[in-house]
Amino acid sequence: MRKALRPGALALLLIAACAPVGSGGYGSNASAGGAKEVSFLVFETPNLTPDYWDTAIKRVTDAHPDIKVKKIVAPSAGERTAYAKQLLASGQLPDVMQAVAPSGFAESGHLYAWSEKELAAYQYPGSNPLGGKIYQLPYNTQPTPLVYYNKKLFARAGITDPPRTYAELLATAAKLKAKDINPFVVGGGGKDAFAAAYPWIALVGADVYRERPDFLVRRRAGEARFSDPLFVRATQKLADLVKKGYIDKAGLSRDYPSTEKAFLDGKGAMYPMGSWFAASVDAKELPFGIGVFAWPTDDGTTVVPAYTGGGPIVNAHAKNLEAAKTFALAFNQNTANNDVLVKTDAAIIAIKGYRPPTMGPVYQDTLKVLRSGKVVNAFTVETGDDALLPGMSDKVFAIAQQIVAGKTDGAQAAELLDQEWAKAGGR
Amino acid sequence: MTPLRPYVRPLVALLVTSAFFLPLYLVLANVFKHGPDITASPASPPVPPTLDNLTEALTRPDRLFWNGLINSVMVTLLSIVILTVVSAMLGHYVARTRSGFGRIALLVLLAGLMIPPQVILVPVTEVLDATHLMGTIGGLVLFNVGYYVPFGVFVFSGFVRTIPIELEEAAAMDGSGRFGTFWRVVFPLLRPATASVLIFLGVWIWNDFLNPLIILGPAGGTTVTVGVYRSIGQFQRDFGGMFGLMFLATLPILVFYLVLQKHFVKGLTGGAVKG
Amino acid sequence: MTLIDRTSPDTRSPGRETPEVPPRARARRPGRWSYPLVFASPGLLVYVCFVLAPILLAFGYSLTNADLFHPDAEFIGAHNYTTLLSDDAFLRSLRVTTTLTLIIVVLPNVGGIAVALLLDRPSRLYKALRSVFFVPVVLSSVVVSVVWMALLSDDGLINTLLRGLGATSPPGWLSDPDLALCTIGFVISWQMLGFCSVVYLAGLQGVPKELLESAAIDGAGPWLRFRTVTWPMLAPAMTLNTVMLLITGFKAYDHVQVLTAGGPGLGTTSTIAFDVIQTGFTENRTGLSSAMAILMLVIVAVVSSLVLQLLKRREVDL
Repeated sequence: MRKALRPGALALLLIAACAPVGSGGYGSNASAGGAKEVSFLVFETPNLTPDYWDTAIKRVTDAHPDIKVKKIVAPSAGERTAYAKQLLASGQLPDVMQAVAPSGFAESGHLYAWSEKELAAYQYPGSNPLGGKIYQLPYNTQPTPLVYYNKKLFARAGITDPPRTYAELLATAAKLKAKDINPFVVGGGGKDAFAAAYPWIALVGADVYRERPDFLVRRRAGEARFSDPLFVRATQKLADLVKKGYIDKAGLSRDYPSTEKAFLDGKGAMYPMGSWFAASVDAKELPFGIGVFAWPTDDGTTVVPAYTGGGPIVNAHAKNLEAAKTFALAFNQNTANNDVLVKTDAAIIAIKGYRPPTMGPVYQDTLKVLRSGKVVNAFTVETGDDALLPGMSDKVFAIAQQIVAGKTDGAQAAELLDQEWAKAGGR
Repeated sequence: MTPLRPYVRPLVALLVTSAFFLPLYLVLANVFKHGPDITASPASPPVPPTLDNLTEALTRPDRLFWNGLINSVMVTLLSIVILTVVSAMLGHYVARTRSGFGRIALLVLLAGLMIPPQVILVPVTEVLDATHLMGTIGGLVLFNVGYYVPFGVFVFSGFVRTIPIELEEAAAMDGSGRFGTFWRVVFPLLRPATASVLIFLGVWIWNDFLNPLIILGPAGGTTVTVGVYRSIGQFQRDFGGMFGLMFLATLPILVFYLVLQKHFVKGLTGGAVKG
Repeated sequence: MTLIDRTSPDTRSPGRETPEVPPRARARRPGRWSYPLVFASPGLLVYVCFVLAPILLAFGYSLTNADLFHPDAEFIGAHNYTTLLSDDAFLRSLRVTTTLTLIIVVLPNVGGIAVALLLDRPSRLYKALRSVFFVPVVLSSVVVSVVWMALLSDDGLINTLLRGLGATSPPGWLSDPDLALCTIGFVISWQMLGFCSVVYLAGLQGVPKELLESAAIDGAGPWLRFRTVTWPMLAPAMTLNTVMLLITGFKAYDHVQVLTAGGPGLGTTSTIAFDVIQTGFTENRTGLSSAMAILMLVIVAVVSSLVLQLLKRREVDL
């Protein structure tokens, strides 16, 4: 009988053996040597490589030897916020999360609110408040989007100056189209639906936020609707660009990096994109020059949608909250780390006293445009009380795909947004 | 009736198979090509071949492949060994017992064959959380055992019925204990069923994506399959690097299949299609 | 794989049970060998903990408005169910799942029979070709999806080829909201084709050669021979394939996640399985996603057992 018991015992042993194998578990344990472990959610892009993160983390842990960092990588850059929510749902919310939108997490008490003292180093310490509190370190300003253009293709179509009014933009597109040049490069396939939304974000900034900077606050209060004429008109402009063939539908089968590549390969003349694109350009030897302008308004006033924030958020229930806070601040304010971000991601750092390294011409032009115009919020990018309801930005991206695919017009898109808003629990 | 010319069938067969295989050929060819050649001429054969893509995947500083491999091997091996032991016994029980409980158990287990994993994933994370197994390999293995035990039972119980019960009764009269009878007399006879359970579950668990993504989470590291998914974002336009990683992630399971091919097909069709 | 005929091999009739014998004594008597529950318990225990209990938990959640961002869950009865059944998005994901499942059931079944008939020859060549068809079955869906994504994107090989042949605007396989779902269906079908053809090949082994020959002598053409002799013999294989494909279609998640992430546009390729995970894990609405999950379970159970019944009856009729 003893012999016979062996398989059963073996099975039990195996089960028992499993448990310690995945040691560490989730959350963070104080580990050997008294070091406090902090889990840190990051994401990888062609610019922010695994190596970048490891080096950047090491710079901070070298200065704080009592902190041990466990790096966690989101399955994809565009999904990092969704992934953080997934981790929350399965009880594994990391201690520090880089560039994850705080809305939803913050209201339900999962995030630590920074104190005034901790925020003193930042140029705009009051950016994107949620219920009056700041959860995400506001270290970086990103104009989202500006319009980058291919000077060679413009010249070929006989265009000498970038358009200043919306009418001029349409004329520019028409001239390009007449020369068989694709006017706009817009992408957004697969997981990168967000990339389809940039022209829409630009239009909402130029036409909606310029008039009503508090549009989403009013939407939250139920005083404004997406189907209001102001918003519908801006959205219809995008649908019209598609109808006129100025935006190539094929872009929807390109993910974000292929879209960038398409523009750099000269497959279109204008590329509405965030300021980080400047870094990709300055790092390359291109056979054509690249210029930049703000998406034009009807009357020619310069309006720049931009967002200041983007830093780490900290889990309020982190096992080693103090260590997590220390790490987040140190990581975020580390000059060497930020220098890399400026170089690889064209970050415009909003930390007092920070001096950026010498940068290329497109970065300089991007700064010039930012400083020349009236700054408004960047639709879908906002994270404060003036932001979309949690989960809504993904719906905006999906609807943007429908518009770019030519399936939905301005009024229908606005109607869909109002429906999704109601489903997300809004008024 | 006009008989086909003798070369028509092999020709058609070759053509159809080549068309079918084309996507896999492209991956195979491009694994051994340099990046620029991949975009320039994706369909050309890799001449001269390069191992750069494989070396790159093998020597990544974050050890994405190696860590994934260790996790995949552990999860897969532990799961299929436990599953074989557990479901052979359970399959034997439901095939032989005549109690009402046994019959109900069999029905409930067979119903489990149809449950999509997505249905139970949210509550499973809570069960694992409560037992502090979330984010551990042990947790994933236990979930795999629970989720795939119906398949094991289904194969084993079907097979046990083809074995004459007299064999077991004779062994029992010889004074052999029940466990002894089972493991020394019955289990060796179940070898074909064991082979198909090991093979099928091995492939499924190795290739599983959603369950490791959520249950193993970030703390326990990824499996190679989740690693491939993660690398999509990072490599993006670098097909060489991505295909290299995919090739390495697939190699173990492909070798496993090619070695056990015969059993695989037998397990798939054994008794199923003869009516 | 006797899911298909669970009834046949068990030859013992329940009438032989003798209730008057006490269980212990019965266990000792040869021929009345009863099996200890200990045999069954480890497997049952894990199954109960990780499958049955979660289903009950999910049902419990489905009656609440549990939401991770609003931690105080309340009992709301069937409200989630009524919401879902009148929700456009949920009905859309039902439609998407149905369409996808139909494609996945039809294509590999038809293709599988064709490939099986083509390769049903004993030589080495055909054996090797059969293995080729089976390779995608052992690959992970993630790998398969990445491969096809590289082929199907606008600057991928297929559209480059089509442009070379003179097409000015080749189809957006994954970017056209009307087309993406069919493309995903095709990719899954490609992966499952080998499975089906192997099962059909095994079925073809059971077709009596003498019958085919005598039919040929009687002057029956190839089509008539296939229709009258081969086709009925393939019925059990078709049952197995169809059930397998049905379940594959219902739980399709990986391909959707990698190829389109539910888009392009609002949910044009979002299957129920995808929706459940999306709602549960990224929108964190546990209550609602549990209700979806339970509805999905009911649909899968009802449809699969109906189809199974139908196919079994058909096997008998043929």
